[in-house]
Amino acid sequence: MSFWEKMERLDRRVIYVLLIAAVAFALIKPVGLAITISKETQATYDLFDGLPPGSIVWIGCEYGASNITELQPILTCVLRQGLAKDLRFITGGMWAQAGNLAESAWEDVSADFPDKQYGIDFVNVGYRPGGERLLPALVADAHEALMGRDNRGTSLDDLPLMQEFKSLTDAAAILVLVSGTPGEKEYIRLVTDQHGIPIVAGAVSVSVPEAMPLLNSGQLKGLVMGMAGAAEYEVLIGKPGSAVAGMDAQSFAHVLIILFIVLGNLGHIALGKHKKKA
Amino acid sequence: MFVQGSALQNWIIAIFTLALFSVAFKENPLYRFVEHLYVGMAAAYGICLTWFNYGYPVLFQRIPGGKAHYIIPVIIGLMMYTRYFKPIAWLSRFTMSFLLGVGAGFVLSTTFRSLVLLQVTATFLPLWSSQSFAQTINNLIIVCGVAGTLIYFFFTAKRKGVIGVGAQFGKWVMMVAFGTAFGNTVMARVSLFLGRMQFLLGDWLKIIN
Repeated sequence: MSFWEKMERLDRRVIYVLLIAAVAFALIKPVGLAITISKETQATYDLFDGLPPGSIVWIGCEYGASNITELQPILTCVLRQGLAKDLRFITGGMWAQAGNLAESAWEDVSADFPDKQYGIDFVNVGYRPGGERLLPALVADAHEALMGRDNRGTSLDDLPLMQEFKSLTDAAAILVLVSGTPGEKEYIRLVTDQHGIPIVAGAVSVSVPEAMPLLNSGQLKGLVMGMAGAAEYEVLIGKPGSAVAGMDAQSFAHVLIILFIVLGNLGHIALGKHKKKA
Repeated sequence: MFVQGSALQNWIIAIFTLALFSVAFKENPLYRFVEHLYVGMAAAYGICLTWFNYGYPVLFQRIPGGKAHYIIPVIIGLMMYTRYFKPIAWLSRFTMSFLLGVGAGFVLSTTFRSLVLLQVTATFLPLWSSQSFAQTINNLIIVCGVAGTLIYFFFTAKRKGVIGVGAQFGKWVMMVAFGTAFGNTVMARVSLFLGRMQFLLGDWLKIIN
């Protein structure tokens, strides 16, 4: 049996073990590969950096717990950047776990900003059902669409920040963190294209190709692309976190996968399987 | 990290994570148990959230509070359940019709401008850019790529001459796009795995910070 025939019969579990080993090694012994800032991440950072203090930013948490590795660092980075600049945030979303994820991010960030208070600088209105139909309802009357209370059950009338937020159009900018539908397209169709609110997105890697045409057309002002984008954002705000820590492992895993793709193709050619059958 | 639970929570999360990963090596009862538990919990979580975020406030706060018009969507929604009662099952068709009509109208009225018109406009680019040579190349790729892809799906003419070259180019552009999408999918999956590994090695085993 030739080398290529052995490789062809390689148990897939060997690949899994090698992948686990590569990722574990890079996490335990990081080599500190360079992280360069893409213009898409920089544009997102610049948008929030350019907002006047006191501006209200709506953050749509349109993802689930399975996407926290890629999207949660983006959420905490933007909160840190914005709170340092005295921006105010309202988080919510059309995905069921929106409320819990935003609450978790606020817990992570608020300890570093003891002067910032819930209800004044940050409100989490949480999940509301109805899918994309929630967005025009938020534009028409945010308090009515949110059933008059936030994620913690507090009346919106008791939250000072919500007195200045009667409609989604009161937001100076929108950040939408997306991992599927409803996501950035719904915000663009139903809110930002109609009302001229600048919108940026943070997307899981698998959603990036779909978001790129929206960036190219200017409908999205910036895009933070997956874990790599999150790592760039952590570098931009000067607070390296889980995304930066994971980039070495990400790169190691990619090199391993590329290696197997190359080996697979070489074996395909070597065994003559690329020739068309008569 | 997102998960900052007690030691017991971390152990439960770790065991369930490893149980789910175990299917990659061999199908086993532990994986099946955890999978079914996950599906059940996710369904219950969704039902509770919808009830406490919408059902309860509408039925016990909004309608008694004087907003009687909320009764209309409640009735339309309840009509869907008439399909379980054969003599009045036909009533559920009204709900379906309502959903289809509103859904189609809602999507169509906002999609054309944002996802068709503005996207088409974004491809009207100068084929020579004075800004930089790279911008010229980018513009050429976008314009020719869109044209080629559209030609590929032009089935009412024989694929020869200009149409043939355009369709072939369109096919290559699509192949590159599919490759990009696949690459991003791999990256996303690796990120998911990475997140779990960070939890297992960090929060659980405390090997990494």
